[in-house]
Amino acid sequence: MATGTFPGARFIDPVVLSRIGSLELIAKTVVDGLINGTHRSPFFGASVDFAEHRGYVPGDDIRRVDWRVYARTDKYYIKEFEADSNANFTVLLDVSKSMGFGSKISKLDYGKTLAACLAYLANSQRDRVGLITFDAAVVDHIPASAKHLDVVLHTLSRAAPSQPGELVGPLRRVAEHFGRRGIIVVISDFYAEPEAIFHAVGPIVHRGNDVALFHVMDPQEIDFSFSEASSFEDMESGEQMPIVPGRLADDYRALVRAHIDTLSKKASQQPVDYTLLNTGLPLDYALFRFLSMRQRLARTR
Amino acid sequence: MSFLAPLFLVGLAALAVPILIHLTQKERKAVVEFPSLMFLRKIPYESVQRRRIRDWFLLALRLAAIALIVAAFSRPFVRDSAIAATQGGARDIVVLLDRSYSMGYGNTWSTAQRLAGEAIGDATPADRISLVLFADAAEVALRSTPDRSRAVAEITAASPGSGSTRFGPALKLAGSLLAESLLPRQEVIVVSDFQRAGWQPDDTLRMPGGTTIRAVPVGGADGASLALTPVALLRSPVDRAQGPRGPGQPERVTVTAGVLNRTATPATDVPIALDVDGRVVQELKISAGPNQSATISFAPLTITTPNTRAVVRLGTPGQPVDALPRDNVFNFVITPSAPVPVMAVSHSAADAMLYLSRALAIGDAPRFEASMQSPEALAGDAMNRARVMLLNDVAVSDAVAAKLMAFVEGGGGLLVALGPRASWPASRAQWLPVSIGQTVDRTRGAPARLSGMEFGHAVFEPFRAPRSGDFSTARFYSYRSLSAAKDASVLARFDTGEPALVERAAGRGRVLVYASTLDLNWNDLALKPMFLPFVHQIGRHLSGFKEQPAWLTIGQVLDIDAAEVAAGATSGSAARRAGGRTILTPAGQRRDLPAPVVATPGGTAPPVTALELTEQGFYEVRGAGREPGPPIVAASNVAIAESNLDRIDPQELVAAVTGNGTTGSTSGDDVLPDEAQELAQRVWWYLLFAGILLLIAETALAHRLSKAARI
Repeated sequence: MATGTFPGARFIDPVVLSRIGSLELIAKTVVDGLINGTHRSPFFGASVDFAEHRGYVPGDDIRRVDWRVYARTDKYYIKEFEADSNANFTVLLDVSKSMGFGSKISKLDYGKTLAACLAYLANSQRDRVGLITFDAAVVDHIPASAKHLDVVLHTLSRAAPSQPGELVGPLRRVAEHFGRRGIIVVISDFYAEPEAIFHAVGPIVHRGNDVALFHVMDPQEIDFSFSEASSFEDMESGEQMPIVPGRLADDYRALVRAHIDTLSKKASQQPVDYTLLNTGLPLDYALFRFLSMRQRLARTR
Repeated sequence: MSFLAPLFLVGLAALAVPILIHLTQKERKAVVEFPSLMFLRKIPYESVQRRRIRDWFLLALRLAAIALIVAAFSRPFVRDSAIAATQGGARDIVVLLDRSYSMGYGNTWSTAQRLAGEAIGDATPADRISLVLFADAAEVALRSTPDRSRAVAEITAASPGSGSTRFGPALKLAGSLLAESLLPRQEVIVVSDFQRAGWQPDDTLRMPGGTTIRAVPVGGADGASLALTPVALLRSPVDRAQGPRGPGQPERVTVTAGVLNRTATPATDVPIALDVDGRVVQELKISAGPNQSATISFAPLTITTPNTRAVVRLGTPGQPVDALPRDNVFNFVITPSAPVPVMAVSHSAADAMLYLSRALAIGDAPRFEASMQSPEALAGDAMNRARVMLLNDVAVSDAVAAKLMAFVEGGGGLLVALGPRASWPASRAQWLPVSIGQTVDRTRGAPARLSGMEFGHAVFEPFRAPRSGDFSTARFYSYRSLSAAKDASVLARFDTGEPALVERAAGRGRVLVYASTLDLNWNDLALKPMFLPFVHQIGRHLSGFKEQPAWLTIGQVLDIDAAEVAAGATSGSAARRAGGRTILTPAGQRRDLPAPVVATPGGTAPPVTALELTEQGFYEVRGAGREPGPPIVAASNVAIAESNLDRIDPQELVAAVTGNGTTGSTSGDDVLPDEAQELAQRVWWYLLFAGILLLIAETALAHRLSKAARI
């Protein structure tokens, strides 16, 4: 788990952000702040670079004719630029019941804020943004579009945990919809076996998408800081189990650590970016991880 | 195992409470919503099972604590006399030692002392011993001491007295002592000869619950027992021809003594002697059959001095007739009758006072020494020699009124009979119980009659019974109209409702105002048969005369004021006596009585100066002032009933006091009542203590386990 501070990060408490009703305002606040803090980023203005000249063919826009070359050569050449980075950016947000858990802020609220920020950031970079919310099935599907930011934000704002979740089925199902390569961000608590998770993510990755897994966990899920012996109820299945936290905590923490390690290890084996997000930490960290991923992708292109 | 309050066992149902709480708490345990039990399911479940086992241990502790507390409230005990005796705990022992004079029979007293010492021989240092000596009354000789030797010393130092056996006061005192006891066991040990005469069943007499009564009868009174009965005195004048006797005139007295033989053995030729002033004057022999009595008369004695001490004795000084000497002596006092000096004052001629003087001259109890005087005599000091003043139609001057007031407040009696000339100074009118009005003339028409007499008053008390004198036959042709004061008592009224005889106390004396005359001028009462007793009652009442007995019994009270009057004390001597009195007891001890209290005019009568007789013999009372007045000698004798040595069964007394025949016992190893056994064993205390300890342990353990679970 990544903890601590990092250069240029602004620590914005997600609890405070959650009190701001408008996701757009939140996203703008977070993203603008982040970009202003990272203005030397190589991604800034990266979409207008010159690529090559080619011969004019009927049908080309005469505005793109390079008149300087015509003056020297008396031939029509079309000026080609680097292609625009308006990739499809789609957020897959887990809205199952377990995402409703949170000691201070629920994982779902954290995930919604994160998704909104990422969408805003992507949209500001002229990416097409889309959203898929799912639990055991796909709940909302907003196809990626440059004009869908408002819809995405609106859908995010009304997303609520209502049904038990299931990771593999929805992911396999949505993988079929990604006909064009894009950036896929999966925000979930990943309560499934690591093999099953990557089995579900595999088809998406294999279609050429850049996949980032944001593993959202509450501090209590990580630390298991319960004290009183209680009956623990599974938020999705409703099953109860008498638990004496004092005796189970160590075992539990070991299991969670092993789970995270396995996810991280498997992610590194595939071209998947895995990030563990503690809802007790500011959103900047997640965004910074996302931008770092974009930078890495740009360099390897 | 038995329970004193078995209904409390219903409280065992409370055992279900912790179980229900445990179960319900288990079901209603706080539910924590958790995203997924995926990881928790992978952890072995045994830890939860182990917690359950530990909870059951706590539950068992709680159940045990509740069961112990409930059992404590039901007050269990072991119904076993042996256990009760050994585990009874400390005792509060009250020893009732009979010190009546019958305990002086032979070696009865030494036996009683030995048995009393043995009765407390098993007392432990944890026990508390009280010693109560009783006869007519009971007194605490030793209160709640753990020192057994001190109790034995007190028993040894005690001696039988002159009183009679009365168990009631002693048992009540023991009950009150034990009621304050904080020790678990109470025991009363009664050491007595258990005379039947000493026990009067009393339903209100009950010992505190759980009290054990141990009766220790003292035997030994099986021999002959003779007792002297009260003597009879027959008085006769030396020479009746000499007319009315005066004070100090000789009087012949015949003493008749009686002997009571309470045994089955005849008493033959038992010596009996009469002592007068310490000198044997006659010795006779008397015989009495078994369970019979006999009387014997001594030769008449000529008594010239008052307060002559006389004693009748059975046997001779060196040869007692039986082992109980106290009832073989009878003390009495022979005093020539002392007249009550009466001064009658009237304006009328001597023959007008004939009826009054004649009436006063008759009678022996008391004998009145009347002196007829004219009003001029009031100016002298003749008043100081009188006890009663009778003013018949006298005009009283202010100076005379002052003297009369001093006379009355000093203890004298005054009768003011109103006639046409009678008057009283207006400046001192408040002192009289009435305000004197005009003359009411009833010569025309029907004369007035007396009615509305207060027959409860001493003056009219002899006329209470029917045909004891009809005052309505007397005719009153004139009388003075009276208006009684608020604090005065109207003893008689005329048929018109107006007061005829009014009384009020003043100081130590009394004042009577009569609305008519004592002669025949205004009424004919003097001609009626009730005139003589009426005058006698007035004289007796105004003088405060009470006939004094020749002897008293121990426990009775001597009225010293009345005895002084009977001995011939005048108002003057009583008024000037301010130094109180000194008493010489039969044992030779001197005691001082405080000066008599003088009541304010119009106030209540002063309290009677009394002396309780506690010893056998002669008490002598002397005044301590300049004019001490006549000495008083009172003879004190033991109660004749105490000489009856018949016994009651001690069980009867024990059963009467404890309410049943099984609680009390004559031996110490009988079964104690349930309450006493439970109180002695105090199992409840241990159970309650153990229950509380368990609760504390449960709390500490639960806290520790809870703390460990949080780590």
